[in-house]
Amino acid sequence: MLAPNSSLEQSIDKILKKTEKEILSDLENSGSDSKHTLDNSLPKLEHEYDKIISDGKKEAEKIEKQIVGSSDLDVRNKQLLLLEEGVNKVFSKALDQIANTDRSGDYSNLIKTLLDEATKILGTTEVTVFTNDKDKDVVQAALSQFSGAELASDTIDCLGGIIIKSKDGAMTFNNTIDARIERLKPLIRKSIASTFGVGN
Amino acid sequence: MTTEGGVQYNKIAEIKGPLVIVGDVENAAFDELVEIETNEGERRLGKVLEVGFGKAIVQVFEGTNGLSIAGTNAKFVGKVMEMPVSKEVLGRVFDGLGRPKDGLPDPIADKFVDINGEPMNPEQREYPKDFIQTGVSVIDGLMTLVRGQKLPIFSGSGMSHNLLAAQIARQASVVGTQDDFAVVFAAIGVQYSEAEYFRRSLEESGALKRSVLFLNTADDPAIERIITPRVALTVAEYLAFDLGMHVLVVMTDMTNYAEALREISAAREEVPGRKGYPGYLYTDLSTIYERAGKLNGRKGSVTQVPILSMPSDDITHPIPDLTGYITEGQIVVGRDLFRQGIYPPINILMSLSRLMKDGIGEGSTRADHAEVANQVYDAYSRAQEVRALAGIVGKAGLTEIDLKYMDVGDIFEKEFLTQATDENRTIEETLGILWKIVSKLPKNEITKIKDKFVDQYYKEE
Repeated sequence: MLAPNSSLEQSIDKILKKTEKEILSDLENSGSDSKHTLDNSLPKLEHEYDKIISDGKKEAEKIEKQIVGSSDLDVRNKQLLLLEEGVNKVFSKALDQIANTDRSGDYSNLIKTLLDEATKILGTTEVTVFTNDKDKDVVQAALSQFSGAELASDTIDCLGGIIIKSKDGAMTFNNTIDARIERLKPLIRKSIASTFGVGN
Repeated sequence: MTTEGGVQYNKIAEIKGPLVIVGDVENAAFDELVEIETNEGERRLGKVLEVGFGKAIVQVFEGTNGLSIAGTNAKFVGKVMEMPVSKEVLGRVFDGLGRPKDGLPDPIADKFVDINGEPMNPEQREYPKDFIQTGVSVIDGLMTLVRGQKLPIFSGSGMSHNLLAAQIARQASVVGTQDDFAVVFAAIGVQYSEAEYFRRSLEESGALKRSVLFLNTADDPAIERIITPRVALTVAEYLAFDLGMHVLVVMTDMTNYAEALREISAAREEVPGRKGYPGYLYTDLSTIYERAGKLNGRKGSVTQVPILSMPSDDITHPIPDLTGYITEGQIVVGRDLFRQGIYPPINILMSLSRLMKDGIGEGSTRADHAEVANQVYDAYSRAQEVRALAGIVGKAGLTEIDLKYMDVGDIFEKEFLTQATDENRTIEETLGILWKIVSKLPKNEITKIKDKFVDQYYKEE
């Protein structure tokens, strides 16, 4: 009765040993495979790590550039608006002073100069002269030196100075103080800005 | 800037398209600036195109819509059109005529400069040879842009040239120097959404600080487009030659400029040239493109990247054709690549930077740059032939080496050409990808690169 059992046991032992051997060899193989995979993935991992770091750095630089750039611009733009406000204040004060200038003395010389300049540009003294209410008398007095020039009965709205129109109506030249200031405005703005310490 | 006022003429003889003909005019000058005043006191700007027999032909920039002969007058200002310039223009947005469009006041001018510029003395020109990094691999690697060069982008309607233009404007930089760099961006006749995209894109990337934008949108009068590139270049020249900055001028779309020129020419009843464009189109374009360059003894440079869309993708159309005669190479945007969804869809086989050879190599980019670029050109060209062959005989009929070239073509398009719109690659990264492509080829196929570079950079897989 024992013999069949012992051969069975022997077979079982054999199978167990074989299986154990196989499992151990599989474990060994798996271990070395895993080690190999880990060894292989290390440089890849390092590469990925480097890439993430360098991408992160790039992104950080981008964001820094963005924040610094836009805040610099914000500051500059606010400065520009403030400067403009200052320039406008200076302008309006200056215009007030010009509007209330005394019409006697040197002012008549200024009107003569304006008339002389304007008639030279149009190339004729056969002109109609327009001016504002305040300057009418000064202009009328100056016109005696420009033969053919007449003062228009209509007045114009300006700080001072004259507009002349050829008698055929083809040409007009605006030599009012307003027009002259308008022409010089960019240069005047620059001078005012430089007194504020900008653009030196 | 003159301080003397101009004469106002009250007799308008005729209004014809974008032109106003003023009668009884004495003492007007060619190119003189004219202020047209309407009945309602509205002011428009123009310039004198022709004078003679008591008449002056004035081109009105804002168009003549709503103008009538009666009640309109023209004031001849006594000077040519000038652009106020100073360092303060950086970070600003202007319209196509150089007027502020960002709600801020006029810049305080350092000086006023004639927008037509001064011709560069040819003898004073310095040969361009310094690299500009755009961060776009295909441009930096295979058609390198150099400071002082004019390198146009030829595109087609609906393609991604504006994305590319904005990317170049955002990313461009000079490497290996502390010199200041600025971008002047002129949008000519673009859609409102595109103009907004350019502005936002520069603003959000922080690049607006070093940029100046001139935006002429499609709904602005076409005639304004004649002025836009000129004011942009005037500012660029000031920044470059007065302030010593390296300035990249991106102008898009030059086709709209040429259309405006055609409109004026037709209104003047000039004898039309090819496709109705004026016979002087070449000369006119050269007055814009030739404003790029470097001058001896001056620190700065003006580099131009004009972008033009070729009508019907026709590269023989007068605009790209004549542009190509003046500029130093071209970058061609390909319809096939665009349809495949590749960005930037640049067809390298039709593109070329004529000054590239002098701007790359040791001391500029890297010693192996020219050779690896040549090898990739060659390989991609071969890949295209193999693809055509595969279309006839099938993939099974190809040899092993043919299949390798096909792979190279695919990798080139997927890894080198394809780039995200916000991806800024350094020249080292670009050259690295070029070597990755070359490394797909067996060593015996590498015929254009010296062995020492192959030993150093070739990585067999």
